[in-house]
Amino acid sequence: MKRMLLVMFLAGSSLIVNAQKEKYEATMTELSGVLQNEYEKSIMPVINKMERVANTETKEWLPQYWVAYGLIKESYTNGTAAEKDVMLDKAEEYIAKAEALSPKNAEIEVLKANFSSARLVIDPMSRWQKYGALFEQHLADAAKLDPTNPRVDYLKATNLFHTPEAFGGGKDKAKPYFESSLKKFEAFKSPNSYSPSWGKIESEYFLGQ
Amino acid sequence: MKKLLLLLFLPFLTQAQVRVSGKITDHKGESLAFANVSLLGTYDGATAAEDGSYSFETDEKGNHKLQVSMIGYHTLIKEVELNSSYVTINFALKETINQLNAVVVSAGVFEASDSKRMVMLKPLDIVTTAGGNADITSVMQLLPGSTRVGEQEGLFVRGGSAQETKTVIDGMIVQNPFFSSTPDVPQRGRFEPFMFKGTAFSTGGYSAQYGQALSSVLLLSTQDQLGTNTSTTASLNLAGAGVAHTHKGWITGSVYYTNIAPLLALVKNRFDFETVPQGIGTSLTINKNLQRNSHFKLYGTWSDNGSAMNLPSYDTAEGSYRFANRNKNLFTNASYKYVFKDETWVMNSGLSYSNNKDNLEIQDFNADRTDERTQARVVFTKLFGNSNANSFNFGGESHYISVGNRYYEYEFGFDDSYSALFAETEMYFTPKLAVRPGLRYEYTSVLGESNLAPRLSLAYKVGKFAQFSFAGGRFYQNPEKEYLYVNPNLTFEQADHLILNYQVIKNRRTFRTEVFYKKYDKLVKEETDYFDPNPYRFPTWNTSNTGKGYARGFDVFFRDEKAIKNGDLWVTYSFLDTRREFKNYPKQLIPSFAARHNMSVVTKKFFTEISTNVGLTYSFASGRPVYALADDFKRQEFTKPFHSVSVMASKIKQTPNSFLVFYFLVDNLLGRDNIFGYRYSPDGTERYAVKSPMKTTVFFGLAWTFGKLNGRSKEADLNF
Repeated sequence: MKRMLLVMFLAGSSLIVNAQKEKYEATMTELSGVLQNEYEKSIMPVINKMERVANTETKEWLPQYWVAYGLIKESYTNGTAAEKDVMLDKAEEYIAKAEALSPKNAEIEVLKANFSSARLVIDPMSRWQKYGALFEQHLADAAKLDPTNPRVDYLKATNLFHTPEAFGGGKDKAKPYFESSLKKFEAFKSPNSYSPSWGKIESEYFLGQ
Repeated sequence: MKKLLLLLFLPFLTQAQVRVSGKITDHKGESLAFANVSLLGTYDGATAAEDGSYSFETDEKGNHKLQVSMIGYHTLIKEVELNSSYVTINFALKETINQLNAVVVSAGVFEASDSKRMVMLKPLDIVTTAGGNADITSVMQLLPGSTRVGEQEGLFVRGGSAQETKTVIDGMIVQNPFFSSTPDVPQRGRFEPFMFKGTAFSTGGYSAQYGQALSSVLLLSTQDQLGTNTSTTASLNLAGAGVAHTHKGWITGSVYYTNIAPLLALVKNRFDFETVPQGIGTSLTINKNLQRNSHFKLYGTWSDNGSAMNLPSYDTAEGSYRFANRNKNLFTNASYKYVFKDETWVMNSGLSYSNNKDNLEIQDFNADRTDERTQARVVFTKLFGNSNANSFNFGGESHYISVGNRYYEYEFGFDDSYSALFAETEMYFTPKLAVRPGLRYEYTSVLGESNLAPRLSLAYKVGKFAQFSFAGGRFYQNPEKEYLYVNPNLTFEQADHLILNYQVIKNRRTFRTEVFYKKYDKLVKEETDYFDPNPYRFPTWNTSNTGKGYARGFDVFFRDEKAIKNGDLWVTYSFLDTRREFKNYPKQLIPSFAARHNMSVVTKKFFTEISTNVGLTYSFASGRPVYALADDFKRQEFTKPFHSVSVMASKIKQTPNSFLVFYFLVDNLLGRDNIFGYRYSPDGTERYAVKSPMKTTVFFGLAWTFGKLNGRSKEADLNF
């Protein structure tokens, strides 16, 4: 009996653990999917949900990553300049949390480049110098950590796409980077269903422009 | 046994859910949409709706913590007991102090910065402003509060002389911010605008952290490390050529050679040079993030410039004398910043040494000038209170100064050791109300005296975009060295400032107005028996601190970044009413450097198709007072008003590995022969107008950067 109880207990607790893990994976897959693919509505409620996961799963870097990712994305489309900066201040906190849990992570370096670019576009004329340099540096660091990461070329490409031709940017300059990004996407395999996969559809979209 | 089994499977059996709901408001009762409600330790929670209401279901039971967080508000946690099927719990959040709601102490200060958001200008404005010639001081002269004085370098702020403004780099006083002075020929600043990430120009009422300036401080803060790329920039223009190399983003060295011969050949001028001004210079910048929380900067520059020219002697129409100078200047500044672990304590420290030598020959006699300054400074900052928005600063500085002048066979000089201690705190009582009291103590050995200077600033926000601000205090300065040479028994000169400021920043438009009153006391006064208007005379009369005066007025600044697409427009106007009895003025007179009305209109536009920035500036100053030799001051004469129109254009060409900028500027486009004042023949019967040596100035050049760019901006490499 005792032994049976123990087996039951172990089974029960592993069930709980498994249930929790399943719940984590299911929630993460759903939320990260919406964060990456929603381009119409405000993603603030989804960011909030992800933040609840992040504050519960304090040992996992991905929830922290996604909160920052969501805030950065939201800052591109919503709010006044000052509101965007406050949003990004919060994103910065979550980037730091993610980095503390998973140092030397190419995806986090890519996110930091994306963050620099979000800061830059709020006031490009006067922020170019600082955030342009940071953008380049984080991308270089990301490429060093993982040369196969397709998001490095994707971000390079979008940056060139939005830079006027006179400053060395433009559609034509961006094209080869979108293409090489797509090539890397072919070989790229996400470690799981809730790891970053953004940049592929976007590259295809931009190439169609 | 059954009980045990039940307990084991409890998590799977209890399916009865609890509905938690409520409303989120701020502490005034306004509903807060998008607040994040979370049941800590679970994924359960909700986002508040437009009306601030929220509602969610949870499987959890018993005691839990419910947290509400929202950007711009303090996170609030409440205990909640999940035992019934409905739980209602409301939250009232308290605002944090952040850039969206906080008032900013703005009275008396004009800032150009990227890091702070409530600023009037951006660093880029300094190089894209026509008439500013990419010279920091010249651009500041286009801002409200300063007077354009065409024949002399320096910032003349609200009735103050150029000596009443101090230039400060990273907390360190710069002994010689301008190239060596030549009578009636204004000089450029020694420092290139792109060294700095921020410029704050105070028009009075400045912080207790600074002293020894009766009117104003110009605070410059140097760039932080930008990127890790290696690049080389070569520049060439009508006045010289230079090369700068940056290695991996953290160390930069430069050398340059200046010679204005090409400029003189191209532009009509009144100069009479024996030796055309030429010089060599070099600089070294180290900018290193040591660890995550400390930063080291070193800046050193050395230059050697020489020229010989004939200047009018004013004894006859053609009379001239030889003025030859060889200047050697060294400026070094090292600073170290350390952020303590909890990030609420910060230490800023610095060490600086500067040495300046002018080997000056006036006609046949030697008139050498030397000065040397060693200074050390440390400031501790503690952040505290709501959102760590409050700060307490305290620290001290110590200077050892040695100055000397030679006039023919006479030698003058003194050593001074100057120390100061200061403490200042900035406190937010609410996000809308900030108070900044400060106190500064100074001791200077050359006077053998000390002083205590109180300072106070307040700011109050009225509405979302508008605020009032007040600044005031007492300011001390040592008398000018020419007076101290002869009379070491003088005391501090002093000024009291009162400034009231109102500003609205909304929708990329800025309106700012300021009213000020400044009272001067204990100014040095000479006991003369006749009046000599020559500003370059050496004062030999008996002196005492019996002078006094006042300055009052207002200024208006309006900036519109929306009216011109990809462009900018600013208009400034300053009204100044000032009189003072000082130097050899026998009674309270309008100082010869003060203009009653000053105005400027600055426009610029970036043409994307041709990647060219074009700027146009008009500036105006009403006539300045003229005093004759042995004037009886019964009637007041003024010069004709000053008008100037300037244009500049810069074109950028960028490829992945190079960056090219062409620039072209014209100063005083309409060729107006502005008169800045008069100089008198020794017998006082004749007078000669002081004019700019070049009526219309044309200048152009290019800068070419190659190598990996450190994300430099368009005009970042403009090197005039």
